Amino acid sequence: MDTQWPRWEVFKQDTPSKPHQAVGSVHAADPFHALLTARNVFARRPQAVSMWVAPASAIFSVTKEELAEGQELKPSTSDPKPSTYYVFRKTSHKRSMTFVDYVGELEATSPEEALKLAMERFTDAPAMAWWVVPASSVTKSEDSPETVESWFAPAKDKTYKQQSYYGLVGAHPGKHKRTQGDDDE
Amino acid sequence: MPGKFGKPTDPDYGERLAEFEARIARGEKIEPGDWMPEEYRRQLVRMISQHAHSEVVGMLPEGAWITRAPSLKRKMILIAKVQDEAGHGQYLYHAAETLGVTREEMLEALLSGKAKYSSIFNYPTLTWADIGTIGWLVDGAAIKNQTMLAQCSYGPYSRAMVRICAEETFHHKQGKEMVILYAKGTPKQRAMAQDAINRWWWPALMMLGPHDSDSPNTPTLVRWGIKTKTNDQVRQEFINEHAPEILEAGLTLPDPELRYDEATGNWIHGPINWDEFWAVVNGNGPMNKQRLEARRRAHDEGAWVREALAAYAARKQQTAVAV
Repeated sequence: MDTQWPRWEVFKQDTPSKPHQAVGSVHAADPFHALLTARNVFARRPQAVSMWVAPASAIFSVTKEELAEGQELKPSTSDPKPSTYYVFRKTSHKRSMTFVDYVGELEATSPEEALKLAMERFTDAPAMAWWVVPASSVTKSEDSPETVESWFAPAKDKTYKQQSYYGLVGAHPGKHKRTQGDDDE
Repeated sequence: MPGKFGKPTDPDYGERLAEFEARIARGEKIEPGDWMPEEYRRQLVRMISQHAHSEVVGMLPEGAWITRAPSLKRKMILIAKVQDEAGHGQYLYHAAETLGVTREEMLEALLSGKAKYSSIFNYPTLTWADIGTIGWLVDGAAIKNQTMLAQCSYGPYSRAMVRICAEETFHHKQGKEMVILYAKGTPKQRAMAQDAINRWWWPALMMLGPHDSDSPNTPTLVRWGIKTKTNDQVRQEFINEHAPEILEAGLTLPDPELRYDEATGNWIHGPINWDEFWAVVNGNGPMNKQRLEARRRAHDEGAWVREALAAYAARKQQTAVAV
């Protein structure tokens, strides 16, 4: 029997000028638990200003290969009233820490229709993969200054872990000549 | 989402495999949902879950020293480092989950002793100098392996590795700084550093895996871009970088046959005791039993937290429905 908590995909925004990007997932019992866990796992270090989570089960995902195979996009018309969908896209095979980037939102009656519309609308770059997520299933960190400060600022104080802190060891090995020890008695 | 996993008996397997290998040759990443050979998936699940378990078990030898760190600064660094390892485990479990295996299955495999994790974490940490040495040698060896795996053809594993390498670099540098400080310190500190290097050097070389001739999976892994270098190549890179630095710091290495080879520019090492390696891998290392017991205990004793969170979530949902 599957007793694990549901999986939530995590989207992290590094700075206000960057899009939210898929960074990985967490398991959690509810959306707020997912956000808290996401913060602890993915924002221990700079930088972040905002995080979103969405249940993995609510995400409609398609790769370029799947589209090339002519997978039919049959819009299910169970709900004729349009609702908002967030669209995410992967545009490069370059080495990266993130998967798909948020590119925008649109109104559609199903994830399939949302994807069709997205493919017509977001044509500025080739897409290797798409994620379409109902806006109603996304839970966001509060963007009040207090929340941003308490959630994301502490990571910035971890200066003792910045590489420059270890200046001594980036040097040429010849610099490691013996002098007097000065720490850690 | 789990993709389509091809078997050699499938009628279109040959054709699909050719397309798949052409994609890898073009430098494209394989993403969840794409077609892949079942064997590619199997190898990835095996490697990624082992890797995730290693990060999680790796917290134990270091976690034991948090209360005994010699200064507040060192304590903070160590806490952050152990926290990082937990995060690395999460990144990796996620990458494996994209192949259709569940977190629960992987955890069960670890706790039951069915799954493997890195042999290195079955050695004890005897002194504070071990903490620096683990950072320098063990994380150093891990980074060599992981920067190679960051090129992996499977997107989710590659992305987890890029993220992990960025953080692991800190661990490597702080460890190196600690050991060099001891090497330059009092006679007692120097002796501690030397003792730690003596005990960790060989296990660090072994953690990069058996010789290529004894590693049956390697050719397949390289062919499909899961690995881009062999065990012996990565081991040689590790030695070439670390041996001269350790010697330069005024320490020695416990290998009488170690020498620099002018012709190839490589540091040549003496024979590795693979009997010891296999004994540790097969559960007979100095700390295998303790490590698994500690993991099981943590899992059992944490059950009430999981139950409380589930009860809270259920209650909130009920309230929401009622409103």
